[in-house]
Amino acid sequence: MAQILDMPLFNLADSWALTLVIFAPLVGMVLLWLPPPGDDKGIRRSALFASLVTLALTVLVVFQFYSFEPAVRQSRAYAFTCHVPWIAGTAGDSATIDIAYRLGVDGISIWLLALTAFLMPLAIWGSFSGIRTRVREYYSLMLLLEVGLLGVFCALDVLLFYVFFEFTLVPLFFLIGIWGGSERRRAANKFFIYTLAGSVLTFAGVVYLAYYSFTVLGTATLSIERLIQAAQAGHIAPAVQWWLFLAFAAGFAIKVPLFPVHTWLPLAHTEAPTAGSVILAGVLLKLGTYGFCRLSIPMLPNASFELAPVVAVLAVIGIIYAALAAWVQKDVKKLVAYSSVSHLGFCMLGLFSLKVIGVTGGVVYMINHGLSTGALFLIVGCIYERYHTRNIHEIGGLARQMPWMAFFLIFFTLSSVGLPGLNGFVGEFLVLLGTATSKATSDLRAAGPLGYGYVIPAATGIILSAVYMLWMCQRVLFGPLKEPANTPDTSTGLTKDLTRREISILVPIALACVFIGVYPKPMLDTFKVAIERNVLRDVLPAERVTAETSGLSIPADATQDTQSGEGSPAEPDDGVPAQPADPPRDSAVLASLTDLDTTGGPKHER
Amino acid sequence: MSIETLRICGIIILLAPFCGAVIAGGLGPIMLRGRSHWPAILGVAGAFAAAVVVFTQLYGHGTEELSAQIPVYQWIIDGAGSAFKVEFLIDPLTSVMLLTVTGVSLLVVIYSRDYMREHGKPERGYERFFAFLALFVFAMCALVLGGNFLLLYLGWEAVGLCSYLLIGFYYSRPAAAAAAKKAFLVNRVGDFGFGLGILLIYLSFGTLEYAAVFDMVQSGVLASGDPLTNGRVTTIALLLLCGACGKSAQLPLHVWLPDAMEGPSPVSALIHAATMVTAGVFMVARCGAIFTASSTAMAAVAAIGATTALFAATIALVQTDMKRILAYSTISQLGYMFLGVGVYAADSAIFHLFTHAFFKALLFLGAGSVMHAMGGIIDVRQFGGLRKLLPWTFVTFVVGSLALAGFPMLSGFFSKDEIIHHALVAHPLLGIIGLVTALLTAFYTFRMVFLAFFGDERVPEGVHPHESGGWMLFPLCVLSVGAIFAGYLGVEATGRGFHHFLTPVFETTFVAMNPAHAGSHEVAHPGFWEHYGLMILSGGLAIIGILVAYIIYVKRPWLSGLAKASAPDAYQTLWNKYYVDEFYDEALVEPARKTGRFCVGLDDYLIDGLIWLVTAVPRGIALVLRTMHNGAMQSYALSMTAGITIIVLLVFWS
Repeated sequence: MAQILDMPLFNLADSWALTLVIFAPLVGMVLLWLPPPGDDKGIRRSALFASLVTLALTVLVVFQFYSFEPAVRQSRAYAFTCHVPWIAGTAGDSATIDIAYRLGVDGISIWLLALTAFLMPLAIWGSFSGIRTRVREYYSLMLLLEVGLLGVFCALDVLLFYVFFEFTLVPLFFLIGIWGGSERRRAANKFFIYTLAGSVLTFAGVVYLAYYSFTVLGTATLSIERLIQAAQAGHIAPAVQWWLFLAFAAGFAIKVPLFPVHTWLPLAHTEAPTAGSVILAGVLLKLGTYGFCRLSIPMLPNASFELAPVVAVLAVIGIIYAALAAWVQKDVKKLVAYSSVSHLGFCMLGLFSLKVIGVTGGVVYMINHGLSTGALFLIVGCIYERYHTRNIHEIGGLARQMPWMAFFLIFFTLSSVGLPGLNGFVGEFLVLLGTATSKATSDLRAAGPLGYGYVIPAATGIILSAVYMLWMCQRVLFGPLKEPANTPDTSTGLTKDLTRREISILVPIALACVFIGVYPKPMLDTFKVAIERNVLRDVLPAERVTAETSGLSIPADATQDTQSGEGSPAEPDDGVPAQPADPPRDSAVLASLTDLDTTGGPKHER
Repeated sequence: MSIETLRICGIIILLAPFCGAVIAGGLGPIMLRGRSHWPAILGVAGAFAAAVVVFTQLYGHGTEELSAQIPVYQWIIDGAGSAFKVEFLIDPLTSVMLLTVTGVSLLVVIYSRDYMREHGKPERGYERFFAFLALFVFAMCALVLGGNFLLLYLGWEAVGLCSYLLIGFYYSRPAAAAAAKKAFLVNRVGDFGFGLGILLIYLSFGTLEYAAVFDMVQSGVLASGDPLTNGRVTTIALLLLCGACGKSAQLPLHVWLPDAMEGPSPVSALIHAATMVTAGVFMVARCGAIFTASSTAMAAVAAIGATTALFAATIALVQTDMKRILAYSTISQLGYMFLGVGVYAADSAIFHLFTHAFFKALLFLGAGSVMHAMGGIIDVRQFGGLRKLLPWTFVTFVVGSLALAGFPMLSGFFSKDEIIHHALVAHPLLGIIGLVTALLTAFYTFRMVFLAFFGDERVPEGVHPHESGGWMLFPLCVLSVGAIFAGYLGVEATGRGFHHFLTPVFETTFVAMNPAHAGSHEVAHPGFWEHYGLMILSGGLAIIGILVAYIIYVKRPWLSGLAKASAPDAYQTLWNKYYVDEFYDEALVEPARKTGRFCVGLDDYLIDGLIWLVTAVPRGIALVLRTMHNGAMQSYALSMTAGITIIVLLVFWS
């Protein structure tokens, strides 16, 4: 144990690594004010530079995470943890309020962090030709948005998570409202009010969670890790779980977006500037699914299990409904927006299969969707900048004019419809496999909530996704050439086909798609531990999971509380049963949490 | 045989065409241009050479273990402890398929070198064409080589993609773009079932590896230890069959193949006749363990095959586009193969697949040669009497037609005859359908031949017909030789080498499970009629069909018009392909689009309306409150007075 703790992974510099990553774009914002006003070129380059520095830092973190990953697997839940008390109160020598600036990443969030840092420079670079007004403000807001997004994926405290989660709304509101299309103000308002309305309920849930943890644990803690432990020990009563699940779901489901609260998305996407759409589809929607996966499922296991069929039904309806709606769209961007709704349904289905395979699929799906849909929005942006229309009926046969664009559009279409060998397939396959095998007990876990019955309607989504995407390709790319008058517009320095800049933006995404499609193992390897340890730890109890992830060989009796915890309401005064009292496992967990919870872990007496 | 050699060969078979595709596609537009066919030719030739090595490794090993499951690397980790590998399964079936695929591909790629040129200049998209073609060879080999269902699915989708790209090669033609999309989507419908079948396999057996799955099916237990029910195995088989029907254009998913003729002729020859469309037959043969475990599924395979064979042959009777006639004949011949597999004669089906690859590729390439000479026109009503103008094409085309028609002693005759023989044993009705279809096949094939090559010499306006060059004639000649002699690999006289080679693959499945073998129906010493009766019958039918076509289209041309006029309804039905496309449009596509519009309406009005209602509540309250704060002293005074009055009254009341 001492050896592990001595590893450089846990030194001070590393505990600040995530803070550095999160706030690097904020520092970069300062750069934007260095070039004189009117020097748009300088501003653009500074913004790109700032986002690239963030990317470089993230890559360092990812590599370091990866090299220490076995160590993390051995003993720890999260890497690069840091803990600074934020809202703290003490009574005597025990903490009564424990809300802190807690950061850390695991095998799931590290990839979402990487996705954000990867897409942001591309989105910024992609705005070079499209954004002509208020350049400085635009890029400042983009970088600010990045801060919020990175923060969400690193936060390990519910309140901190919520703060970052809400914070992303503000820059995006302005990005849509100022640089958007003709109906931008309506879109921005709808987007803001819709998502805010949901997250107000989430906030109520957060407050209640703090209060409730005070009543059962004696400390108003919002530490995700401690709450998961509390849930595992059965301290969160099922009825409470239900309410909390609904409260959290209100915010997250709107963000995902889950049918039927998806109607803000098509409008927001259509009106947002290209980069806004890219980030919105690529990363922002994942905040919802990530919230489910990070907070709802592990902290509210009983409710998640019981409500999983409801969520899955909504997800399946969303898959088919949005696919059909996408098919009849005239606006290319709206079509891609509806396809997002459909795809995210798959993602939710995987997450709520509550089995490792399905959750793995769901998480892969998040990343894949970010890549391929982000790229699709970029391409639609390229078309729009040249033809000033997104109406499918006004353009056609562009393959002849823009062979490069045609190549990329077909490529990302194929990725999006789940062609084996490209990234989309890996996620889709694992989601369907996970859903189908959810009920099976062969992986030593109890039976999950979903089954083969959910797969059949969901799989029609695979046909439908091909229907609308290929329909779009056929109309836009093939047939006789059709262009609106006076186009393509090359006045802004664009060429008829994609410029070198645009190609350079799309190539990295395409490479990532191929890599994930052909060799997803490095990524999938890290998911397993993180999912078993941090998502499904006590959703479906099983000996194997606890034994493997806590690293030390644990006598069988140590897992008792995992099972006894199932559904039993909290026993208030009997001293928080099986908490520090149960030596082997908890000491392991405690040891692993020492720098996560410097207040002394879950030692608390009332 | 050594596993290491096989692994290396497998990797070469995949990588050589893949590299060819990448080089042709990557360097083609920059520097190769008119020479872009070389990477493709070399890549496919490399794959062919490796396939020959695989064959020599397997051939002559008698009955010893002839299949090898060869892992390459771990592909997808499912997170629950197991992984899906990239692995090969190499056995005689694989070997035969590899030889067929790479061999025909090589000839087609060579042929395309001239075909894709106009007046010696490469057509627009020349490099793209060869890149896609090589990519197709890669995908098809992946499909054949794959050692588990996931790789099968990968190859399955990837060949579908190449088919999509190549059908839509002339993308500025709306018909081509629509046909490409249709092919992909109809296949997706099949893949929907196919994918569900694969998931059900994983759910039942906990693995997707061929060997493990087939073992478990044969021992009749699930991964959980429960017995495998008949219902479950039937479901799996029918779901897989759904995919096979899509890919092999069987009823009711046959609609995409005739439209796929919008692609360039070499593509039709390779993908839509010789190789890709046979993937369904290959898959059913490969999964023999699963299919033979369910007699329902086998009956379904045979029924679909027989129905499709007859159905497509009737449509082919009246079509006038040479490539479409050939497309329907392909569907019909694929129906024969399904029929063969369905009556437990998988080796005969694969044999037919093998011979069919020769003569059908030959016919399509011949049709391509005609089309090339006619300036892109392929409708037999617009030309005729070409035998003098295109002598080489004519001879090779007739050879192919004879083989297709089942003319005695040519390859198609032997393989088709075998299938009909087994069908008769299984069920007389199936056999009779097979015989009727054989008659129709001979008729429509030679109707096409006589219309195109006999009669007065006619060519479309402004076309200067010319015989094709060596690059195109060489593959035609090679394929003609194959069309004549390939059948002799599987006849008694040569010891039925083809079948013996395949026997180990089917021994425990199709052979062992065949109900016809179970009872001792086999005649110990068949007499002359038992042995040759059927051969004479089917050969005779072929000759009759050819003769009838000769009389109607050469000797008495007015007869065809008479036939058309005497039954206009039947003619219209056939001409419109039984209105299946129209039916799908009305029954599936339009309702789905209507539902889509309905969904959008629901979004815009119902859901947003509800949300508007919710937001209207605070707005309404504000509205009421706002009118109160109008700043007029009188109204404040009024409401104050009213309030006081009410309070006073209330006080008095109580």
